[in-house]
Amino acid sequence: MSAKIKLEKKVLSRNDILAAELRTHFADENVAVINMVSSPGSGKTSLLEKTLSSLSEKLSIGVIEGDIQTDNDAVRIAKTGVPVHQIQTGGACHLEAEMIRKALIHFSLKDLDLLIIENVGNLVCPSAFDLGEALRIAIISTTEGDDKPLKYPAMFRSADVMVINKVDLIPYTDFDVEKVIHSAMSLNPAIEILKTSCRTGEGLDNWSDFVKNFANEHRE
Amino acid sequence: MHELSIAIEILDIVEKEAVKHGATVVRQVNLKVGDLSGVETESLSFSFDAVKGEKELTRDAVLAIERLPVKIRCTPCDAVFNGTGHAIICPQCEGFNTELLQGEELEIADIEID
Repeated sequence: MSAKIKLEKKVLSRNDILAAELRTHFADENVAVINMVSSPGSGKTSLLEKTLSSLSEKLSIGVIEGDIQTDNDAVRIAKTGVPVHQIQTGGACHLEAEMIRKALIHFSLKDLDLLIIENVGNLVCPSAFDLGEALRIAIISTTEGDDKPLKYPAMFRSADVMVINKVDLIPYTDFDVEKVIHSAMSLNPAIEILKTSCRTGEGLDNWSDFVKNFANEHRE
Repeated sequence: MHELSIAIEILDIVEKEAVKHGATVVRQVNLKVGDLSGVETESLSFSFDAVKGEKELTRDAVLAIERLPVKIRCTPCDAVFNGTGHAIICPQCEGFNTELLQGEELEIADIEID
């Protein structure tokens, strides 16, 4: 006897399920979590280096670094005085919720206000892997070309914020800031835009305040 | 990107529901996949066929995928449009005051059993 059973059931991947559990855990521990994504070399670590020292005076921060190999980034972050743990994936081109779950053993979440996850440099795969974060920040630098949002739509659709870094180099490139902003907003009208330069310091106070305000607003 | 994990999850859901309804075999799984879901449907079909044999109930099941196009509602234009590509700005007024009505789905619509 044949039958058609109506389900209308949403399918979540194993990662989605784990990420949802992490999200609940972070909320229970009252810690705001940021996932920073970008191509390799856009300036994720530099942005953190520049602002962690001043931010850590106002907030209790922990950092999880993600790379395929080396602990170079964790060493850089450690110099700011902020507790940091390096995940070396060994081959995976993105961080996954399970890796974050395992890394949490290195932190006392109840003592943290903010946990920043710096993802593996990659504009493709990280977009599909929820880490349980409350805010996803995509960084694009001015030497990468202004067509990147349209070329990597999933990443810019999934991001809450786009930081345009290395603005001091604009005079040496054909980078069109208005074009990249329009492209990103055409995929994601609500995306917030920040502009920074780690070399000149332009926009860093704004970036720092943005992170601080997010962390404060996101917790009770 | 993680189509294998999704295929495994689909088969878990399907098996549970099939058992609940006393099925002896699952003939077909009807899946809805939105164009913005980020799911690569060929890879998903391949993964589904690779793992369906691990459960007796689903070993011969066919995965049928219905693709759902992007549908956007523009508030100022008070109209619904089909999206092109991944952009969700209004094709008429090119404004950003839009709402995504359809396109991100990944759901099992129904299953056909014996």
